[in-house]
Amino acid sequence: MMESQIHKIHQQLVNKEISCTKLVQERLDLLKLNTHNTVNSLLDTLALASAAKVDAKIESGQEIGLLEGIPFGIKDVYMVQGTYTTASSDLLKKYKSPYTATAIQKLFAAGAIPLVKENCDSFGHGSSSENTIFGAVKNANNPNLVGGGSSGGSAVNVAKDYTVFSIGGDTGGSVRQPAGYNNVYGFKPTYGRISRFGLMAYASSTDCVGPIAKSIEDIRIVLNAMSGKDIKDQTTYPSETILAATISNTDAIKTVGYFKNFIENDAIDAKVKSDFLATIEKIKAKGIQVKELDFFASDTLVATYYTLAMAETASNLSRLDGTNYGNRIEGASLKDTYSITRSENFSEETKRRVVGGNQVLSQGFSDEIYLKGLSVRDQIAANFEKDFHQVDIILSPVTPSSPPKIGDSLKDPLAMYLSDAYTVGFSLGQLPTLTVPQGTETGLQITAAKNNDALVLKFANFLKDTI
Amino acid sequence: MSKIMTVDILSSIKGAKPSESVNKLFDVIKNANKNTALNTVHTNAVTLDDLREDVVIDSPQMEKQIIIANFPKEKNGYLVVSKVIEE
Repeated sequence: MMESQIHKIHQQLVNKEISCTKLVQERLDLLKLNTHNTVNSLLDTLALASAAKVDAKIESGQEIGLLEGIPFGIKDVYMVQGTYTTASSDLLKKYKSPYTATAIQKLFAAGAIPLVKENCDSFGHGSSSENTIFGAVKNANNPNLVGGGSSGGSAVNVAKDYTVFSIGGDTGGSVRQPAGYNNVYGFKPTYGRISRFGLMAYASSTDCVGPIAKSIEDIRIVLNAMSGKDIKDQTTYPSETILAATISNTDAIKTVGYFKNFIENDAIDAKVKSDFLATIEKIKAKGIQVKELDFFASDTLVATYYTLAMAETASNLSRLDGTNYGNRIEGASLKDTYSITRSENFSEETKRRVVGGNQVLSQGFSDEIYLKGLSVRDQIAANFEKDFHQVDIILSPVTPSSPPKIGDSLKDPLAMYLSDAYTVGFSLGQLPTLTVPQGTETGLQITAAKNNDALVLKFANFLKDTI
Repeated sequence: MSKIMTVDILSSIKGAKPSESVNKLFDVIKNANKNTALNTVHTNAVTLDDLREDVVIDSPQMEKQIIIANFPKEKNGYLVVSKVIEE
């Protein structure tokens, strides 16, 4: 039997070794008492009512689905009807979702039970989960270090077993990096595989819904449940269910590549580098051909990503003006009301990004920065396409170094942006990429060509047995 | 528009100024090599057959109630908007 929390709990429920109500109540208690600042709000009423229904079903001898009764967490940027959806911001501190996000609705339909809206960087703006009104998220392994971000609360909840799995959001690494920082699995699927409807928009061209869990099998189960075309997000595409058997046969992978310049530079921690290269040797020893690949300089990747992400977030967040919802602060005129509301309610980091976005979108600057950024992105995508003619998988570290201490990232935004060097490229390429908690202190990223999500999971299974 | 608008006006954020950290990122882009040989044609459009039906979908009552509850201000059963710009 392969390792899987979901299968294990499912069996316990079916065998009546534990009631769903007890299971849910235990996890709610853990969340309530936890000191890692992972919780924005608990969904206890909803969770316990759902658990009672599952128990009644089991009691009456009916079959339950694999995800039925499984408790999970939701990053506080997803709409869940009737619950607070704050994006960890003052502006939306009292905002209630009128509807439910498609990805979350699909999990509800499968019977999974939501426990918590999870702490994160405000509007996804950050790599440490310190940019939040609910207090900095503390790392699962060492509470003096950051939980990573922006889906920090989600990764810590999974790592500490407060939730069986959690749903994060990944725009430039926001699922993969916190997964790496807390030693769990975190998957950013191919862009468009899972509907973004009901996910609060940060940068729409790279926003992805992503599961965080403790095993490859659990990632597979949750990914399948959320995938599929959705009329409410026209960038979605139909995809086939990934079968457990498909990803357990690891013979198909013949060649693996890695970016030479990610490893041969001054910014990478010596230990991360030597651990990564040791992993490469182990892969070679299994008879897989390993190729060194050329790629764009890290600062070019980071600059391209942030230029485009800031432009998109400036546009997406322009709707947050206190007119129809949010914490409106009245001024002398409508314009005044807009600007006071936004000045008082946005964090420093969010303001920095909105201003940056408006800078590059304004006349006189857009050609040499924004349009240039779009063109560099095309070159990056073309480079990936060329690479995947040569290799099946690209392997990278998740981050150049270990998680920073709480407080350090806020002091130096540029350093924080640059720490995203290894994750943002795959976002710009819209490629499926999985963080596995192996290989380096903050894990490894496995990337395949677009729509090849199954191959990523297959290689993860291989790596699990190899290193 | 000929009038020059500063970033604080464009962003509707009082006193907003460009950040040094962010400007450093923009400098990298300005100096990046542009490969003019690449001429990508983007096909992000949805095909005609794939468009959703042009029908009005009424929101469920619960959704309407929450939207009203989220509105910042209410007086005597009416939703209160801010003063309208007169310029």
